[in-house]
Amino acid sequence: MSISLWFQRASVLTALVIAFAAAPAQATAETLRIGAPLALTGGLADEGRKQQVAYDMWLRRVNAAGGVQVGDRKLKVELITYDYQTNEQRASQIAEKLITQDRVDVLTAPFGSGHTKVVAGVAERYGVPVVASVASSESVFNQGYRYLFGTLAPNAGLTDALVAVVKAQLPGVRRVAVLGREDVFPKSIAASMTDAAKRAGLELVYDALYPVNTMDFSSPLSKMRAAKPDWIFVSGYTKDLVLARKQMADLGVSAPVITMITGPAYREFAESLGPLAENVTSATWWAPALTFRSDDVFGSTQGFVQDFQARKEKGEPDYVHAAAAAALVAVQAAVTRAGSLDKAKVRAALASLKLDTFYGPIEFGANGMNAARSLPIVQIQGGKVVVLSPEPMRQGRLLPVR
Amino acid sequence: MDAALLVQVVLNGILLGALYACIAAGFSLVWGVLNVINMLHGSLIILAGYLACSLWTEWQVHPLAAMLPVGLLLFLAGTALQVLLINRVVDRPVLTTLTLTFGLDMVLYNAMNAAFEATPRRVTLELGRLTLGEVVLPWDRIVAMLLALALTGLLYGVLRASRLGRAIVAVRMDREAASLMGIRVARIYALTFGLGAFMAGVCGALLAVVYPITTNATGQLLGKAFIVCVVGGLGTVPGALAGGLALGVTESLGGHFLGPQAAALLGFGLMLVLLVVRPTGLLGRKGYE
Amino acid sequence: MSPSNATALLVWILALAATPLLGDNYVVKIATFVAFYAALALSWNFIGGMAGYPSFATAAFVGLGSYAGALVQNAGAPLAVGWLAGALASGLAAVALGAVVLRLRGHYFAIGSIALVEVLSLTASWWSGLTGGGEGLNVAFLPGGPDTIARVFLYVMLAIAILALGTTVVVMRGRLGFALRCISQNEDAAEMVGIPTTRCKIIAFVLSAIPCGAAGAAYASWVAYIAPADAFSILLTVKVPVMVMLGGAGTLIGPVLGATALVLLEETVWARFLDLHQAILGGVIVALIFFLPGGLVGLARRGRST
Repeated sequence: MSISLWFQRASVLTALVIAFAAAPAQATAETLRIGAPLALTGGLADEGRKQQVAYDMWLRRVNAAGGVQVGDRKLKVELITYDYQTNEQRASQIAEKLITQDRVDVLTAPFGSGHTKVVAGVAERYGVPVVASVASSESVFNQGYRYLFGTLAPNAGLTDALVAVVKAQLPGVRRVAVLGREDVFPKSIAASMTDAAKRAGLELVYDALYPVNTMDFSSPLSKMRAAKPDWIFVSGYTKDLVLARKQMADLGVSAPVITMITGPAYREFAESLGPLAENVTSATWWAPALTFRSDDVFGSTQGFVQDFQARKEKGEPDYVHAAAAAALVAVQAAVTRAGSLDKAKVRAALASLKLDTFYGPIEFGANGMNAARSLPIVQIQGGKVVVLSPEPMRQGRLLPVR
Repeated sequence: MDAALLVQVVLNGILLGALYACIAAGFSLVWGVLNVINMLHGSLIILAGYLACSLWTEWQVHPLAAMLPVGLLLFLAGTALQVLLINRVVDRPVLTTLTLTFGLDMVLYNAMNAAFEATPRRVTLELGRLTLGEVVLPWDRIVAMLLALALTGLLYGVLRASRLGRAIVAVRMDREAASLMGIRVARIYALTFGLGAFMAGVCGALLAVVYPITTNATGQLLGKAFIVCVVGGLGTVPGALAGGLALGVTESLGGHFLGPQAAALLGFGLMLVLLVVRPTGLLGRKGYE
Repeated sequence: MSPSNATALLVWILALAATPLLGDNYVVKIATFVAFYAALALSWNFIGGMAGYPSFATAAFVGLGSYAGALVQNAGAPLAVGWLAGALASGLAAVALGAVVLRLRGHYFAIGSIALVEVLSLTASWWSGLTGGGEGLNVAFLPGGPDTIARVFLYVMLAIAILALGTTVVVMRGRLGFALRCISQNEDAAEMVGIPTTRCKIIAFVLSAIPCGAAGAAYASWVAYIAPADAFSILLTVKVPVMVMLGGAGTLIGPVLGATALVLLEETVWARFLDLHQAILGGVIVALIFFLPGGLVGLARRGRST
């Protein structure tokens, strides 16, 4: 082939590369630009869409109120989202794009814990604050990143509260079986549980982890049954929990207390399982039945729930929606406090934030996680999610599984 | 460790193994006869599962009744796919056919995600349990196992007894000779692929009762099908059964003694061991690589 | 190497190397991924293109390199040592694993190689004491501003790609290349003619593993965190052969061309077709099989003859 043809090809290639180099001209009106890498396709698409809905709910409220107060101006907010396809490499590319080309002031984090760490790694280098809304494991925040914050409180808050409720209301429960998924969050919460159980003087009769692509739980469940537990604790994603609960019924594995994290917090769990979901307990970071009142754009937990239902979404919002919107509420408060869009100042404002929101209190600790607190314990009773704890918002008492 | 628990574990493995055999049967047939690895197989099963779930929720069609129409639908789709696309590359090297079916799978997967979301769905039939002393077996699994065995048995019968079936076997054994005997090989290829898709269809409808259906599972199903084929032997129903049962029992026992993570590893380990020691599989015959 | 090939490759290298001057860090990142995938594609070319053994083990070696590099780096060794460790670990694994899977042919080899990816992923997940299991492994965060880091890793990936390229040139010209081509055409005949097929295959497999290991280790340093699911990615392990097929398997520039084309294609597509990007990628693959059997290089060759 002639050299000229090859030169043509090479030039085309080079031209393509340069075409990417021509970044789009930026809008000149000053706005608060928030970048949101979302899993809209791929394995975490359902969860990604929840975040998208929540961000939009906040965005509408804020822009309807004229924008975010920064110093003596009100700035409109621009939310720039890209689908990172539940793919780690794409997450890292999108983070880079949002920061260098779209020039965002703040980033939100994607749904997956691992992907959050990767995005945080990129943002840390540029000094762009990242507020995560669905990362609650200490391991996500253990790299010493100063620009990473998360609205979910640490896992121990869930398990401590859970153990306290069970011990108080069903004191006969002594033997605990724990089955966790080998994945960042579910593994961490399972470890939290075994730790909390031991500290409370309960007996751990079964403790195992199942790999990510498990299709069948017969084997671990049969073994669990032989250990005769009073309390069965399973962690995993919705599909794992639905399968596990069903197979528990199939194999006659039961106990007075069955806890699944975070299944019952999601509408899909109860819908999929029907009567089998009855009396399953869970711990969550937020439930629609809570009664926080706040100064933020939603005003109260109820305000947030009503906004959600006005959008004709199915059912009620869950903690993913709430924590995601809360992340942006925190960003808003920090930007207002800082009085500027300067990233270092916003970061400092986030670090010292102490805020009451529709979602609950927000106060970021040294590692960026929201302060530990006793978290709501819920149980599905009569097909609905009922709050068992904390006391001021209690709606019912713990019922043993039939 | 007590005997009852061991019996439970083994029986769990057999129930699971029968399902694995059903999952793999169609895949094995296509691989053995056309020498094509159909990467769409897992997605086809899930598609059938979604269709069965939809029929259940919309029109209360019992999954057993749904099996036939869903299977037929997939049969037609599979045959069309083979005739239009796959037949053109049947003689090409492994990489080509495998990559083609992988590409087609991506299209199907995307389409399914767009049409149905990844939220798990299932058909809820509360059939209860069978309790024999300390051993508990869920009825829906037993029914699924019996159906799976019946289906694979039916497939076996078809391959053995019907003209079409014998033609398929002939093509599998020696394509040139079969062609010389007057068998239209291209037609057999199309029908075999369609038959494989049919098996995926009925299997999917069956699985909808036992497992939550979600697009995330397509890769897992395909993975199991691979292992079953390698372990049991390609292109034969007894092979799929042997492979399925071997895998099911190995996973169950392995998971029991070594923990759930080991179970998955053992499955692949079993496959690798067989690949090295006896690549044609437990019941396979040489010459079908 | 023909002068036109040499020129094309030189232009490619210069274009990538010049991206820090031509664009922002996002562009540099894309260029880094182009180099990353080009290295993987070139390495696959040894076993898949030249020897004709359809390997899907790429992710196994990349992941292994990532973990080896990360562990060595965390133990205090300097970066480059970590990357070398990654390359070494993958190379040694290729010798051991090759002895097992290279006895297989065709479909069975393909299956065996994919099984390697799954087995390593499950092992990394299980052996949590060493690897952190499902929680993943942190790698020390490198000091340096974003521009510096972007450039460093661009040049590291490019260097790995160039090394792979150089190796390809040497092999293609020499006896090994000849032997592999014979094996690819008819292994039994090659055996009969006296070619040490087993040894050649193992060497090809090792050559296919080393750049993957190095690239994987560099990636781990770059991203500062690895976990089993993404380190041993099935998507990556299938995309790499597709890239080589797109460019032209068994040729010198085919892998480079294919990797560049696919990475750029994905960048342009995902931004515009949010919901359909996977179907589009699948469609590209299907179209590739039917319309470009010899890859882009094959297309060029056909053009030459008319």
